[in-house]
Amino acid sequence: MEHAIIVAASVLAAALAIGLAAFGAALADGQVTSKAIESMARQPEAKGTILVNMFISVGLIESIPIIAAVIAIVLVFANPFVK
Amino acid sequence: MDHGGGHEIGAHKVAHFAGLAFNMDTLYMTWLTMAIVIILAIATTRSLKMVPGGVQSILEMIIEYMHEQVDANMGAKGRKVAPLVITLFVFLLVANWLGLVPGFTSPTNDLNTTLGLALMIVLLVHILGVANNGLSHFKHFIQPNPLFLPINIIEEISKPVTLSFRLFGNILAGEILMIILGMLVPYIIPSGWLLFSVVVGIIQAFIFTILSISYLSSALKESHH
Repeated sequence: MEHAIIVAASVLAAALAIGLAAFGAALADGQVTSKAIESMARQPEAKGTILVNMFISVGLIESIPIIAAVIAIVLVFANPFVK
Repeated sequence: MDHGGGHEIGAHKVAHFAGLAFNMDTLYMTWLTMAIVIILAIATTRSLKMVPGGVQSILEMIIEYMHEQVDANMGAKGRKVAPLVITLFVFLLVANWLGLVPGFTSPTNDLNTTLGLALMIVLLVHILGVANNGLSHFKHFIQPNPLFLPINIIEEISKPVTLSFRLFGNILAGEILMIILGMLVPYIIPSGWLLFSVVVGIIQAFIFTILSISYLSSALKESHH
């Protein structure tokens, strides 16, 4: 009975973690990319620099959602509470 | 669906030696990456041509681009650490891509590898700072106001933590997703994810390197106010 509760709670927690992480990442990435494309349209000769900085920003923004994804994966596949 | 994947994901073959535990599969993959990087470097510089062709020009592109970034961020003193930074980038590139070859795993899917590299960079920042500016390097902890000391300490701790976890999380999550997609929808969708993982490998290696350059520049740029 306890095992079932632990498994159910872990699955729910994993789904919540990855869902919120995806929502946050998508919102932030969308803002960064829209500003980047706007400035690329305003100044096409700076396209290379802006593109590089956009990739760096996306990588930095995605670090916490990636950690949330790792936690969700650990809860589902390598759960420390389930022997 | 069987739960057979549960214990293989995130598990390593551990060997115990002198009271310490070593993840042997990560070590084998790290040695393989080192061998590839060394062979690549020796083979492309074996007969340098003034008008390069093939692999030499790819390596020259990487080196020129990294030199640009180092010069832009660190100034004249940056050339001292440019070889470290370029080697870091090439090592991380090969390491991230090694996991995409069937049968191999990335050495960077182990927190030990990424944490080791991140700690190396953070220690290097402080050692170079002291070598450059003496003990006044540590003044930046109380820089705007001594009340900022807790905030600056937390920032210093967060540097190696985020640096290592970003790379570790990206590569491990990519590999796990590859396994899961292979179990769910074989052949077509894993190939699409494989293509995306190539790009992710480049981006994560690049971000690690650029952040290392940025942290090192704060150690090398400070002069006496």
